[in-house]
Amino acid sequence: MIDPFMALAGRLQTGIVLPLLYRLDLMQWEDIAFGWSLFAVYGLFQVLVTWSISMPLEALYPVERWPGRRVVFTDMLYTLIARVGLLPLVTFVLFYQVQVQVDGFLVDHGWIPPMLERLIPPLFGHPVLTFVAYAVILDFADYWRHRISHIIPAWYSLHALHHAQRQMTFWSDDRNHLLDDFISALWFGLIALLIGISPFQFPLLVLLLRFIESLSHANTRVSFGWLGERLIVSPRFHRAHHALPAAGRESCNYGAVFPWWDMLFGTADFSPVFGPTGDAEAPEALATGGYFAQQAAGIKSLVASFRRARKEPAGSSSAGIRG
Amino acid sequence: MACHASSFPQLGRCCYNAMERRERMTQHRDFPMTRRRALLAGGLAATVAWSGARPAIAAAPAPESSPGGGIAIVMNSVSASVSIIDMATRKLLREVPLLREPHHWALSPDATELWVGDASGNALFALSPTTGSLLGHRLLSDPYQLWVSPDGQKLVVNALRLNHIDVYDAATLSLIRRFHESSMPSHLAYAPDSSMVYSTLQGNEHVVAIDLVKNRVVWRARVGPAPAGIVWHRDRLLVALMNAEDVVMLDPVDGSVIRRIHTGRGAHIIMISPDRRLLYVGNRLAGTIDALDAETLRPLLRYTLTGGPDCIAFAPDGKLWITRRFADSLAVMDPGTGELALVSTGRSPHGLFLSPMLTLLAENGRAALGTASL
Repeated sequence: MIDPFMALAGRLQTGIVLPLLYRLDLMQWEDIAFGWSLFAVYGLFQVLVTWSISMPLEALYPVERWPGRRVVFTDMLYTLIARVGLLPLVTFVLFYQVQVQVDGFLVDHGWIPPMLERLIPPLFGHPVLTFVAYAVILDFADYWRHRISHIIPAWYSLHALHHAQRQMTFWSDDRNHLLDDFISALWFGLIALLIGISPFQFPLLVLLLRFIESLSHANTRVSFGWLGERLIVSPRFHRAHHALPAAGRESCNYGAVFPWWDMLFGTADFSPVFGPTGDAEAPEALATGGYFAQQAAGIKSLVASFRRARKEPAGSSSAGIRG
Repeated sequence: MACHASSFPQLGRCCYNAMERRERMTQHRDFPMTRRRALLAGGLAATVAWSGARPAIAAAPAPESSPGGGIAIVMNSVSASVSIIDMATRKLLREVPLLREPHHWALSPDATELWVGDASGNALFALSPTTGSLLGHRLLSDPYQLWVSPDGQKLVVNALRLNHIDVYDAATLSLIRRFHESSMPSHLAYAPDSSMVYSTLQGNEHVVAIDLVKNRVVWRARVGPAPAGIVWHRDRLLVALMNAEDVVMLDPVDGSVIRRIHTGRGAHIIMISPDRRLLYVGNRLAGTIDALDAETLRPLLRYTLTGGPDCIAFAPDGKLWITRRFADSLAVMDPGTGELALVSTGRSPHGLFLSPMLTLLAENGRAALGTASL
């Protein structure tokens, strides 16, 4: 049976990527570049699936109606950059050599990075189960990454870009500052050293998880019912995290795919409310600026955050909890 | 810390002790694999077990014997599995999950185990070469390309991602020496007397020659852009250049380029036919396979094969089995007519082993396998 995604990725690889690498004298990367081709094809498919499901939901059951959607277009750009491959490509170039050096050093000193299947041997030979286990662990790690990004003022000054959007749609999922993405990559790089990395052999499952994350940002009055809300993060659940009162340090519903961590650590909010979103204290450029204006505003906020931290005496409580 | 007595011999250098200790500990704890003595029966058909307190891996159910026409074992690097294919019917019998990224294989010295390297899984899997059933696995750093020396004494493993070349004792799989070679050690070939191994360094245009007796690098020579496939051929080395349209002939004494043979864009792999009369060169970007006269190296025929042609194996009926790296399939090609039949595999098929190769091996030695070894 022909896998249409692989067929498309193969054509992308042989028709565009390989000739380009050949022209640039970079054919040594041809094998590794196939991973990027796959990522781009599945990313494009992710966007199409998310769009085809979320768009009707937003049209039929919107939480808010807006006179214009200009700011949403910027979020579309974020999505395309993140999902169709530019950001992963840059991240790969930045991280590959670092990863090679770190892994090489560790291997030379007796540390072959463990894998979940080695830590939990019964998982061997059960790749789907392994994938699910990875999904749960990585979601748990992401819960804490996300929660800490709200607690540390400097980090939140970057993450505020994600929260500043007042017209939150399914496109908003990838709306992040590049430095915030960079920190996330470091975070998951560390996790990869501890338990290996999530296998790429289940692109449809990855697609499903990413779909849940995108859908949770949709501007739609959808919840999954009492039980469903406690199993999978819904648009209502995640909207509470993006609600105006939840911006900043004291937020709730940090989970991306599973709400279990919020339930476990006391940060879950299941109240049936669909409030307005945004961050009232974030610079306006973060909400309504274009892509580059938002990135620049994020850096400015970060610098300001460091300055504030320097002025405040150690141990003093900060009235302004923002970065 | 002194090495204690075990089934693994003492390592050559202290700095590797920690890794080996860790590997041993992990292996003993989770994946014990005491090898039962191999029984040779009917040429090279043999039984071997990596046994232990509990099965090393929950292997997919496997038939007791292989189909009459033999099986093809295909390493799928993206779906992290091997496909077991009935060569007679060309149907997929089953897919066996491994860890992350299987690429290439080597036959154990007694040819009773097919060792499959799972590169980013940092694991070496042992499969039955006749049935494809999983026998066990052990930790091994980034085994991308691997091959046992013609005398069966050494296993050399190229770690493409981590930039090192490891020399193991093939009988015990204990590490003898690690050579840090940047960048991207890719394919390898041995001298017929097993005294030397030659590895292409895909990332820096070089080939490195390692003396396996003295365990030292003898030379490094710049040979051309993105060198990949390499074979020993009639007292010379032939190297395929992926960022060019050529195969270059090297003097194995010092690595100097003696001659260039024009093939096609993205020359990637070179295989010698079992009768040693032809060389086949796969050109990744051009989507072609060139057949060269082994004596003169003159191109004789060109076959078109899209989808990123990669590893080639020779079936007893004279057909070539070729993995199509970017097309989820392998092609069975009749070199007489150029006729192709496609067989579905897992995602991104790379290394390819045909069980009838065991017969070739028994009759003609490792040279008959047509790969990097002689």
